[in-house]
Amino acid sequence: MHGTYGAGPAGRGVAWITAMYLVLPILIVIPVALTDQRYLSLPQEGISFRHFATVLTSEEWLGSIWQSFTIAVAATVLAVTAGTLCAIGCWRISRRSTDLIRVLMLLPLIIPSIVYAIGLYRYFGPLGLLDRFLGVVLAHGVTGIPYVVITVSTALAGFDPRLEQAARSMGASLSQTLRWVILPRIMPGIVSGAIFAFVHSWDELVMVLFIASREVFTLPRRIWDGINENLDPAMAAVAVLLVGFTLLLLLGDRALRRRTEAG
Amino acid sequence: MSGAAGHALAIRGLTKRYGAFTAVDDVSLDVAQGQFLTLLGPSGSGKTTILMAVAGFVEPTAGAVLLDGRDITPLPPERREFGMVFQGYALFPHMSVAENVGFPLRVRGQSRADRDAKVRAALDLVQLEKFADRLPRQLSGGQQQRVALARALVFDPTLLLLDEPLSALDKKLRAELQEELKALHRRIGRTFVNVTHDQEEALSLSDTIAILNHGKLVQVGGPTALYERPRTRFVADFLGKSNFLEGTVRESTLDGFALEAGGARLQVKLTAPAFPPPGGSVVLLSLRPEKLALLAEGETADNMVEGTIRAWSYLGAGFSLVVATEHLGEIRAVLPAWKAAIAPAEGLRLRLGWAADAAVPVEEDAPPGDTT
Ligand SMILES: Nc1ncnc2c1ncn2[C@@H]1O[C@H](COP(=O)(O)OP(=O)(O)O)[C@@H](O)[C@H]1O
Ligand SMILES: [Mg+2]
Repeated sequence: MHGTYGAGPAGRGVAWITAMYLVLPILIVIPVALTDQRYLSLPQEGISFRHFATVLTSEEWLGSIWQSFTIAVAATVLAVTAGTLCAIGCWRISRRSTDLIRVLMLLPLIIPSIVYAIGLYRYFGPLGLLDRFLGVVLAHGVTGIPYVVITVSTALAGFDPRLEQAARSMGASLSQTLRWVILPRIMPGIVSGAIFAFVHSWDELVMVLFIASREVFTLPRRIWDGINENLDPAMAAVAVLLVGFTLLLLLGDRALRRRTEAG
Repeated sequence: MSGAAGHALAIRGLTKRYGAFTAVDDVSLDVAQGQFLTLLGPSGSGKTTILMAVAGFVEPTAGAVLLDGRDITPLPPERREFGMVFQGYALFPHMSVAENVGFPLRVRGQSRADRDAKVRAALDLVQLEKFADRLPRQLSGGQQQRVALARALVFDPTLLLLDEPLSALDKKLRAELQEELKALHRRIGRTFVNVTHDQEEALSLSDTIAILNHGKLVQVGGPTALYERPRTRFVADFLGKSNFLEGTVRESTLDGFALEAGGARLQVKLTAPAFPPPGGSVVLLSLRPEKLALLAEGETADNMVEGTIRAWSYLGAGFSLVVATEHLGEIRAVLPAWKAAIAPAEGLRLRLGWAADAAVPVEEDAPPGDTT
């Protein structure tokens, strides 16, 4: 950020308060997860890792983590493929009508997920997709598309259209241009979109509550049930693991952006 | 790069409209085998649009593009086999210099070994052998320009198209690369079509210059012909500088006429074969500043005018003077510094003279949008 003014003390104060407001609720689960008590509370006599141990040895928790992970991976593949193709298609045609398509693709982001969940419940029933791996993957994948469309569109906006023309003037076919020129240039946008799509599926609860029950029991679902049934601090431990994992992904995204900006 | 002769390009009645706006208006041009044609015009005059239509990126509203007499208008750009240097070069930022230059060969499915040899030869041609492994952003502007050139030439294109290839470079480098480009053209004997808004570049590089304004072709010809005998005021003004003198024809002879302009009587001798304008008609003359000479005491010329220096500047090689005259208004003159008999100063009185064949009649330009 060259050539911009630094923030004044007031601006800096507000920024810090906002950051704390956002971060504190997340931080509070850390001491709770380290509690030495049997119920959801702050540590009393000392910290203990036994709740982490419980989670990491429980078949139920590990099963849910694995299920969440595979669903998220599959949903990400779906979202990235569809989102990237859509963004590139709109970019290439770039007419008034494609703006409409782009808005349409953002709908899953705009519509409250509970509305979406009710809709899915109604038409997944007859299709036999309720409580199925494929059903949840479809639901998460489709609602993950907007993230990919946004990041890939942004990457494409910074793509010099003359590079495509240059490739074609040298005789490159559409698929060669796509593989050797366009995709390598927008890869950071695609990876960024993939990370967001993954995180979206990884912590999605509302739709899962509607379209899954026993067969598919994702991690957020297990936390939800756990909170409703007993106040086991294992939940806090899971939450910490969840936050840590998400943070890792976002840091990865950030590092990637850094590298492309420097590069 | 084989020594095969270039190909002939013809543009027939090319028109491109964007809605109600006409970017290119009925342009027809012929470029002979191995010729260097420059499209010259101010920004927005439609140069890039014409080049892009030749390359196949712009679909003409009307008209055709012919290569060796064959209509190629419906052919997509990737099937035309034209080399192209884009404005800003459009090098692939994620590929090394060698990968950039090898791209057209990779696209054609050539083997690694074939590719390497050709890439080396192309980099040799532009003196960049040592930079093969660099990324474009690690090169200077002039080097990037040469990579773009090597990349456009490596696949033996039938035609080389260049869109403002030198405009991003500083003046000295530009002059250097102009020389190189000219030498390259001589060496490989390909047909070049160049686009520029820089009149010096056009004059020094081209066999033929096509001058464009508001999407219309104003005049086509060799650099000397255009400079010495501009057809319209716009051409005279855009290609170099010019004084414009307007007057009424008083007396016509076989190869010239006398013009009455603001109380002065000027002798005009026509150099190109043309009919002198009839008496009484109004004529506009273009007079190049460097064709005026400072007259010493008692010296005479076909045309003479007296005036005072209003402003002047030193150009190194010469002095540029703005002289206020009684009859002809302000006249611009450029005198070679080494033989200027005066030290210019504002208010200094002097006499200027020019030969009868120094000034040439030009037409007024049609206003933009006029479709005649
Ligand atoms: N895609 C387009 N849509 C609308 N107008 C355009 C488009 N491309 C070019 N133009 C207009 O056509 C005119 C000629 O453009 P161009 O050929 O790029 O000029 P030049 O290269 O001589 O500067 C300009 O006024 C430009 O605004
Ligand atoms: Mg242009």
